[in-house]
Amino acid sequence: MSDLDDFKATYFDECTELLTELEEQFAAIEAGERTPDRLNAVFRAIHSIKGGGGAFGFSELVAFAHAYETLLDHVRDGRIELSDPVTVLCIRANDLVADFVNAAKAGTKLGAAYGADERAQFDALTSGNAAESRPTGEDDARGDDEFDIDFVPVMVNLEGAAAEEPAAAADDQFTAMPLAVEKGQWEIRFAPHSELYARANDPLLLFRELANLGELTVVAKLTEIPPLADFEPFGVYCTWELTLVSPTATAESIAEVFEFVEGNCDLSIAQLAGRSHRPSEPTLADLAQLVTLPEKTPTVDETPTLSFAELAETVKKDAPVRVAPAAATPVAAPKLVVPDPAPSMASEEIDDRRSGPEDRRGAGVQSIRVDLDKVDRVVNMVGELVITQSMLSQQMDDTLRARYQELVRGLEVLAQTTRGLQDAVMAIRAQPVKSVFSRMPRLVRELATKTGKKIKLETIGEATEIDKTVIEQLSDPLTHMIRNSADHGIEVPEKRRSLGKPEIGTIRLSAEQAGGNILITVEDDGGGINRERVLEVARDKGIVAIDVTPTDEQIDQLIFAPGFSTAEQVSDISGRGVGMDVVLSNIKKIGGSVHVKSKTGQGTRMTLRLPLTLAVLDVMLVKVGPSPYVIPLSSIVETIQCSRADFGRAPSGAKVLRVRGEYVQVVDLAERFELTGDAELANRFVVLCEAEGGIKIALIVDDIIGQQQVVIKSLEENFESIEGIAGGTILGDGNVALIVDVQGLKANNSLHKNAA
Amino acid sequence: MRVLTVDDSRTILAMLHHTLSNAGFEVLQAEDGQKGLDVLATANVDVVITDINMPVMDGIEFIKKVRASGEHNSLPILILTTETSQDKRDQGRAAGGTGWIVKPFDPEKLISVIHRVVH
Repeated sequence: MSDLDDFKATYFDECTELLTELEEQFAAIEAGERTPDRLNAVFRAIHSIKGGGGAFGFSELVAFAHAYETLLDHVRDGRIELSDPVTVLCIRANDLVADFVNAAKAGTKLGAAYGADERAQFDALTSGNAAESRPTGEDDARGDDEFDIDFVPVMVNLEGAAAEEPAAAADDQFTAMPLAVEKGQWEIRFAPHSELYARANDPLLLFRELANLGELTVVAKLTEIPPLADFEPFGVYCTWELTLVSPTATAESIAEVFEFVEGNCDLSIAQLAGRSHRPSEPTLADLAQLVTLPEKTPTVDETPTLSFAELAETVKKDAPVRVAPAAATPVAAPKLVVPDPAPSMASEEIDDRRSGPEDRRGAGVQSIRVDLDKVDRVVNMVGELVITQSMLSQQMDDTLRARYQELVRGLEVLAQTTRGLQDAVMAIRAQPVKSVFSRMPRLVRELATKTGKKIKLETIGEATEIDKTVIEQLSDPLTHMIRNSADHGIEVPEKRRSLGKPEIGTIRLSAEQAGGNILITVEDDGGGINRERVLEVARDKGIVAIDVTPTDEQIDQLIFAPGFSTAEQVSDISGRGVGMDVVLSNIKKIGGSVHVKSKTGQGTRMTLRLPLTLAVLDVMLVKVGPSPYVIPLSSIVETIQCSRADFGRAPSGAKVLRVRGEYVQVVDLAERFELTGDAELANRFVVLCEAEGGIKIALIVDDIIGQQQVVIKSLEENFESIEGIAGGTILGDGNVALIVDVQGLKANNSLHKNAA
Repeated sequence: MRVLTVDDSRTILAMLHHTLSNAGFEVLQAEDGQKGLDVLATANVDVVITDINMPVMDGIEFIKKVRASGEHNSLPILILTTETSQDKRDQGRAAGGTGWIVKPFDPEKLISVIHRVVH
């Protein structure tokens, strides 16, 4: 059973990918790219979902997907025009398919009514087309029944399996005659056409199959074999008469044997009414002579018969029967009266269905699929390697350096290689943000419809790559931010017009790499954050004390405070019981931060700053009290000796640092973490950091030890979350150091100080 | 015995692999017709099972190309498809398909169909 579960997991993975692809294709289709390639890709995606679903017996899913697929089939071959309403129906159908997939995954049923409207619409569209439809139309009509059955795997029915013309009379006989309960005797005449061989069918295999049904006697008719001079190597000269004695065989079971060669041979199957049918039996030697010495042209009366086993032997020994490539010119035996039922039809159609070269899988990039766990193991080991390497480097003091120059050089190469290895491993995990961005156009469209606003979405930097784990965590926060922009940011068209803005609001979604970070920005040209209202609510909810007057910047940031929501009436869109605080906590979880900047009347910009990778961090190692701490290098602006620092006092009494005419908040880490630093202030250091949005904060530490790379270990997973600490790490010497959360310290500090 | 399976669905490839390798077949995989041709160019295969609807090169084109090469005239090719319509099947056969298997397939049936077309 676990195999089946594995397959299901694969299947659902694949469904997720296919559903994403559907989104992408429809986004392009909506943008006017109604190319056959896109329609084919859409068709294939639904087809694959249906195919896999059938294998697991997800009947609801399959039934719906089948109806939808039929519609898509009509659309892709032009029988139905992909008008706007049809596109909308398709997009809706994609959602329903996703629902069915999810239900199947959860092991629940959605009920017959679910998606019934849409199915009715599919049927209306496709059946309205039936009149001019090609023969496939009958398949469509049949489709539902075919898929309403309970998905017991079935072989296709053999429709008119016995070759039409020669067997027509025989067919009547079968129906007229009661089933032979006595030992039934069947006479089968079989004359293959050259196509049968061209398709790699083999009479010998058919006979073997027949022999499974009962006692089989095979008589080869060699009368058509021409003199050697006229003998065509790939010609078809041999026909057979077979007698099958079987108590169980039916016309159907016999015809089924010939299922694959139907139309490629003349076939008649007749039941003999009890009379014995045993032609005189020439010896195998006779036949062997005929086959091996074909110059002795057989005469009409030489009709050798041999048993199945003998024939098998002969055919194996001799080739002409089997080798008949398509390219050869077949010499049709005169007795083959039925016209070729399988001309090389539909070749144009086939060409139409070829996928274009721009198809996403056709890019020629070789790829393999690797379990993410395996990659993670490599990432972890590389992380450990990085630590070991930095430990080794640290061990090299000046004496050692002077004495062992080769070792030094070796260590330098090791450092480089380790860095290269690390980059390479990270690149494996990196994915373009496109996979998340591509879901957003659709979200914006829905939001626009629901709110009655006009919104267009611009996306920039879709090719920017981020760690897969980060990407997975990105979808929800981004969705929330865009909802927020559409719901609270963009104004209704009338208002925009009265403000002299274009009626269509714009949400711009962009991604870029900045140093060791990825910045993802959601920007709208709406009304900006209503600060009065935000502050009012924050005070009501006790998030901000009455006597505190936060800066505009701080007010904007309040929308991320837990439990904060200003929506006056809980809308269907943003108000889902969770606010922007979820965005913040999700982003924090992956080591990122959020910053919001708003201009009244002009819009709001929210920026997510995310680490390029989750595993390894460049840090500065510092000492606070007796303990080592690390500060992410990406947030450090500069370090200053305290003796040279220009400290001052803010009106509130808080300590500030003056840097090039700018006042910066000071946080003494020893004080903040309640450690006793024994160093005198003059000997201590200021680490000037820049937090989100260019806000600076000065951290006072006791000593600066140096730079290195560390592997981040989650504090939440191993212990519990601590304010001001982003995680932990194990240093080269085995000591544990905590990673300072600069952003967290800043936010925390400012509110505490103000409130105090 | 060696089987080449050609399908763009990972699920189907995985299920075929499972069923076939349990039955003692050696299984090669390709995710579209073009890749199927690549495999055939380098490996000896006893039977091919191919999907019809695939990106890059669909199954019908694939079968045509295999047969046109002249090197695989007696290579049995089974068409694997959910499409039970006579239309598709005929296209596949006209292109040179030996037989067909209807998805969803029953493991035993799958094996028995293969034995119908290979020695």
